[in-house]
Amino acid sequence: MTAYGNSTGGFGFNSGAHGLPDVDMQLLDMVLDNGDITAFLNDLAVVAASRLSVPGNPVHCGVTVIRHKRPEAVASNDAEAHALDELQNGFGDGPCLTALHSKAWLLVPDLATEQRWPAYVAVAKAQGVASILAMPLDLAGEAEAVLNLYSGRSHAFSPDDIATVAAFTNQAASAIRLVLRITQLSEARSDLSCALKSRTIIDMAVGAIMAENRCTRETAFGILTKASSTRNVKLREVAASVIASISGEKEIDTYFDE
Amino acid sequence: MYPYGADGPEQPDWAGEDCNGTAQRFRDADLALDKLWIYYYGIGGDIDEVSLDAYLHDALDIPASQVSLIATAMTEMSEGETL
Repeated sequence: MTAYGNSTGGFGFNSGAHGLPDVDMQLLDMVLDNGDITAFLNDLAVVAASRLSVPGNPVHCGVTVIRHKRPEAVASNDAEAHALDELQNGFGDGPCLTALHSKAWLLVPDLATEQRWPAYVAVAKAQGVASILAMPLDLAGEAEAVLNLYSGRSHAFSPDDIATVAAFTNQAASAIRLVLRITQLSEARSDLSCALKSRTIIDMAVGAIMAENRCTRETAFGILTKASSTRNVKLREVAASVIASISGEKEIDTYFDE
Repeated sequence: MYPYGADGPEQPDWAGEDCNGTAQRFRDADLALDKLWIYYYGIGGDIDEVSLDAYLHDALDIPASQVSLIATAMTEMSEGETL
């Protein structure tokens, strides 16, 4: 076997050991600076690539995540890394996807002697890639992501580099979980405020129908949903037209203190 | 929760086993429970998120009117609409 994967268990993760004393702060700043996860992952790819690139041997870094059960290249430090990630996702198999599924890092030190994933390896070699390091991010089940590093030189990643990347991705994973949490919360918050507005209109229309037809709330709801499905109009729009037909009001505001 | 009509309290019409297409649809739809609940709440839904979860896992019977609202919510969401 020319490639070897391993769990990351053997490496110490304290930031000082691998010369990463400022990474924590840098990642925290990135969390605060970026509103969404894609921008954050892009920054992450740039930091990882610049950390491992040496003069004469640039490293390309891409991040692939599982979205709707399919791998998607979402971030990279340059177009080349993005193309390489997309290429592998197109094949549906390759070192990075293998690392992603096995949740263990995987190194291909020399593509010229690699036996696995022949279709992908042939195309990647033609693109000038000689070695690949894939480091999955442990996101505690909230999402799945892998950091992919490509180099034009064979044996470009030393054991020290691998340890550095492992420590780096471990810290990055915590930051990503924080970003995900923040994103989910702010999404839920804006969904809820929309729901409050929508519900006000619908409740008001239901009340109007109850008064007009002298019926129960359940019956009024039934009338509204039936109108919505037979006319193929959203429930909220039917409700709005009921209110408009009574009072002429087009805009119903919900008082919602933000 | 169920208002009184002219003929006294109206008995909720329990959905029973027949409407479990909704639960099946949810499992097929790859839809987050919290998102569905918020949308369903936004169109007037009356049961809480935990009860919704239980209903969708065939562990709770809820009134037919609520089932129809859940179905409406899923339909409107699958049309890519936001509230």
